[in-house]
Amino acid sequence: MPSNNKTLMILTGVGVAMLGLGFASDPLYDTFCKVTGYGGTPKIAEDNLSEVLDREVTVYFDSNVAQDLPWEFKAEQRSMDVQLGASGLAYYTVKNTSKYPVTGVANFNVMPIKAAPFFVKTDCFCFEEQTIQPGESLPLPVIFFVDPQLDEDDRLSDVKEITLSYTFFPTEEGTMPANVGPSKRAEVTN
Amino acid sequence: MVAIPESEVPAEGGYDDDGKPGFFARWFYSTNHKDIGTLYLIFGIISGLIGGFLSFMMRMELAEPGIQFFTNEHQYLVYVSMHGLIMIFFMVMPALIGGFGNWFVPIMVGAPDMAFPRMNNLSFWLLPTALICLLISFVVPGNANGNGFGGSWVMYPPLSTTGHPGPAFDFIIIGLLAAGFSSIFGAINFITTILNMRAPGMTMHKMPLFAWAVLVTAFLLLLALPVLAAALFMLFTDRIAGGTGFFDPARGGDPQMFQHLFWFFGHPEVYIMILPAFGIVSHIVSTFSKKPIFGYLGMAYAMVAIGVVGFVVWAHHMYTVGMDVNLKAYFLAATLVIAVPTGVKIFSWLATMWGGSIRFTIPMQWALAFIFLFVVGGVTGVMLANAGVDAYLHDTYYVVAHFHYVLSMGAVFGIFAGFYYWFGKMFGVMYNKFLAAAHFWLFFIGVNVIFFPQHFLGLNGMPRRYVDYPEEFAIWNSVSSMGAWITLAGVAFFFAMLIEAFIVRRRVGDNYWGEGATTLEWTLSSPPPYHQFNTLPRIEDNAEH
Repeated sequence: MPSNNKTLMILTGVGVAMLGLGFASDPLYDTFCKVTGYGGTPKIAEDNLSEVLDREVTVYFDSNVAQDLPWEFKAEQRSMDVQLGASGLAYYTVKNTSKYPVTGVANFNVMPIKAAPFFVKTDCFCFEEQTIQPGESLPLPVIFFVDPQLDEDDRLSDVKEITLSYTFFPTEEGTMPANVGPSKRAEVTN
Repeated sequence: MVAIPESEVPAEGGYDDDGKPGFFARWFYSTNHKDIGTLYLIFGIISGLIGGFLSFMMRMELAEPGIQFFTNEHQYLVYVSMHGLIMIFFMVMPALIGGFGNWFVPIMVGAPDMAFPRMNNLSFWLLPTALICLLISFVVPGNANGNGFGGSWVMYPPLSTTGHPGPAFDFIIIGLLAAGFSSIFGAINFITTILNMRAPGMTMHKMPLFAWAVLVTAFLLLLALPVLAAALFMLFTDRIAGGTGFFDPARGGDPQMFQHLFWFFGHPEVYIMILPAFGIVSHIVSTFSKKPIFGYLGMAYAMVAIGVVGFVVWAHHMYTVGMDVNLKAYFLAATLVIAVPTGVKIFSWLATMWGGSIRFTIPMQWALAFIFLFVVGGVTGVMLANAGVDAYLHDTYYVVAHFHYVLSMGAVFGIFAGFYYWFGKMFGVMYNKFLAAAHFWLFFIGVNVIFFPQHFLGLNGMPRRYVDYPEEFAIWNSVSSMGAWITLAGVAFFFAMLIEAFIVRRRVGDNYWGEGATTLEWTLSSPPPYHQFNTLPRIEDNAEH
């Protein structure tokens, strides 16, 4: 049955292609979010060359720590008023409350989601991993601006506040003593 | 097809016992599509009993507030999760696609067997293996709260990764991969059979609607299941300590991506479960109205449309993850579009019956109940498609009521309709009408008593997946649990019907439904010969569907 075998080959190819697409979705999804700023992924730029408008937005700063990371992490300022296009500099402070050095990396998100494509960071502590010695406290800067093109989009005319949120996660196994069970993790709160 | 010289073609009944091998070779090495179909049906019944037992225990637990039967919340969630997985992958899919698909697709298109009989055997035997893996997961550690996996059939991380460090979920991954590959092989087999092995004159546009339904279903399986397999592989490597971080935000992953992958499979999956039932119901409505199906081409292409659109609506299961409002608007509109081809099918069934000479036989009763209950489930589905409404109803019992109306009553009624319609054809004997009617009425009343009150519970805000609930939900929960007893009585009549039919053995003729039944299986004896169509049938130009 040569024609059956041919169909079999084609259909197997389709199945394998879908399997490949399933795995490829991981890099595709990442790329898609970074390029479009979809789902609250903020954009990253080399520097700020945009003009400054009169319209202001209030940027709120939010901080979170993953359950199994023994850090204190908070924003130095609760909020900041910035003009569209003007660069803002904000500081967070992180402190390692444990007795051993820990490495963490921060993930970030912007709300409302529709404002995320216009929220641009030029420098951020979240671009690299942070290693903090026991008891040490570290100031972490972030430089950002809100793209003035936000003003041209009618959908965003109601945006007066933007929240920038960070969550610190531990980066690697081994910086924590092994067998820290779920019950112990529960004691560590934000 | 390999051309066999005329002299070597075995004459019908030409050698001993129709060429049936001995018991072990026949049932364990089986490559015969009818035997494999029977194995699938038996397997579906066994899985249905296991899955039904799990849901019965859930209903008993929820009959009144407080925790009665289960040791803790985790054990209840294990039952919920396993009920979902077993009913979907090991009851509905084997019965509708493996069972009726294997039995009747080759016959309906006029083929002697499936295209790849040995692969067919592999497809079937992967399933019991998979089911054993799932059953093992019951008794191995899941997390600190006990054995088994309690993360629901959706298996979202991090509950399925760091939330269940024990091996229970690894067994589920292995079982689902085995079941998934079984279905992919089966899908390839069906597509090849339908595309390449139709009898002379059986053009695509003359093909019976059940074959169309299985063709569309097979394409959905082929496109959707590999994505689930990929997602499960990623979960598997994510679970290994120091492994990958596809869904772990600490390592740059995104747990939401799993939800997208899962529902990219999961939404076509619900059509995989319902489309074959659509096909079966079309044949039954046509047979017992003594009319050809109304709008045959519209019916066929409505299924194609449902299959195509079904791939681009998946995120309506995820409205509450924090999605952009425009994205919600798109998925809302796309989801509502599916109501159009579905409406074409419903109205075509009604138009088929319109002016027909209707006989309310047992399969016709199941088919009519299917149409009614599927419409109820479909209407609540249109409600839930609205992103704003869903923000309130998401993960409440309203959703549970909705998908049980389309599956527990849609797909399962389709299975029983087909079972009674083809019972005589498959086994050569007729069921007892009283026992079958008792099964139908008790089951019909039972499932409605179970699931209709769950609409009220959901609208009042009762969330899914909790072992306990406040006093205010007690009344409708107790009604719902009474429905479980009625359904159980209905299932008892089903088995009584089976036992009685095989003891009394009322033989039936080739076409026991009379002139309304026009597809090729009714030209064969009941049960059909072990090997049919040694001479391929020739479909005339004016033949009805």
